[in-house]
Amino acid sequence: MDIVWSNFFIQLVAFLILLWLLKRYAFGPLFGIMEQRRQYVAEQIATAEASKKEAEQQLEQQKQALQEARKEAYDIIELAKATSTKQAEDIIQVAKSESTRLKDDAVKDIESEKNKAVAALREEVGGISVKIASKIIEKQVDEKSQEQLVNQYLKEVGSK
Amino acid sequence: MDHIFPIIHVAGIRFDLATLSMMLLTSIIVFVLARLAVRNLSVTNPTKLQNFLEWVIEFVENIIGTSMSMKQGRPYLVLGLSLIMYIFVGNMLGLPFGIVTDVHHGATAFGFELDLKGEEHGHVAWWKSPTADVGVTGALTIIVILLTHFEGLRLNAKHYLKHYVEPHWAFLPLALIKEVAKPLSLALRLYGNIFAGEVMIGVILGMGWIGIPALVVWQGFSVFVGAIQAFVFCMLTMVYMSQAIVHEEHEEH
Repeated sequence: MDIVWSNFFIQLVAFLILLWLLKRYAFGPLFGIMEQRRQYVAEQIATAEASKKEAEQQLEQQKQALQEARKEAYDIIELAKATSTKQAEDIIQVAKSESTRLKDDAVKDIESEKNKAVAALREEVGGISVKIASKIIEKQVDEKSQEQLVNQYLKEVGSK
Repeated sequence: MDHIFPIIHVAGIRFDLATLSMMLLTSIIVFVLARLAVRNLSVTNPTKLQNFLEWVIEFVENIIGTSMSMKQGRPYLVLGLSLIMYIFVGNMLGLPFGIVTDVHHGATAFGFELDLKGEEHGHVAWWKSPTADVGVTGALTIIVILLTHFEGLRLNAKHYLKHYVEPHWAFLPLALIKEVAKPLSLALRLYGNIFAGEVMIGVILGMGWIGIPALVVWQGFSVFVGAIQAFVFCMLTMVYMSQAIVHEEHEEH
């Protein structure tokens, strides 16, 4: 085996120079970039996780809001139903009381008309009776005592 | 077809021009590749080359991860990356073609006479894998082995020194042999595989037209071997490193 020693020493120096050059100008920057990428990926993952969490939170909020809106709508409908029922009842109530009042009024009217008619009839009957009695009795009885007599009779008739 | 390498003598020292030029070319390719990959660096939108280099980094991180924790192994990441890229590119470079010149005695390169080993006439191979030279693989190995011993002493001195005389001081010679065998096997494995591959290509070329199917198969196999050897070199580097700096688990039980 023929060993050329100059090769050995030159290679020794040359490789050390190559090593230094590669480290200084190639691998150094590249390692930096790879480290940056590692951080970048870690950041991205962290961000993604955070936004996922936020999205979940928002979804939860949306759900809650939807639930609330639904409940509110239900409440409103229930309220409306209750109100309408109450209103209907009120209307019926008012109508009932109105009809009762009308009926009562009518009954009162009838009563008063009746009383009036009775009073009118009494007067008329009184007058007729006087005329009849005066025709019958003529001059025997003076006007005053005769009217007294008639009134007495008429009272008896009215009370019956 | 016996190829010799273009060797010149300068101030009494032998220089192998083919290995030196391929060494330079390999280094330039690796560096330019890495520079292109880190041009327009982007966190979110990496270029294809950047993706590729990041894949290589992850690959080496996995290699380191098999022998030690990433916290301990991180300082050696650049070493592992440089090794695997340099060796892989070096292994691949020798495969696609060869440049052979026919020279006669007295031919010169850069004004220096080529050493033809006393022969009048020679085939000089100018194109080869730098890793097909034992000096090159030896240099890479020495860097790695010295670093493992240094790091062992720096980070793990007590355990590192103790492992030479465990379980008994009589095991010291064995431990020393092991420490010598490590760099030898590391350097010679890479050199042997790549050099043998190139020799084999030379032999197949010598077969002429008949050799073409064999050449195709062998080239494919050499790509595989080159990749595996780059991987193995990097892997063993990390294993030796972890042996030196990591407390062995069974000692603590």
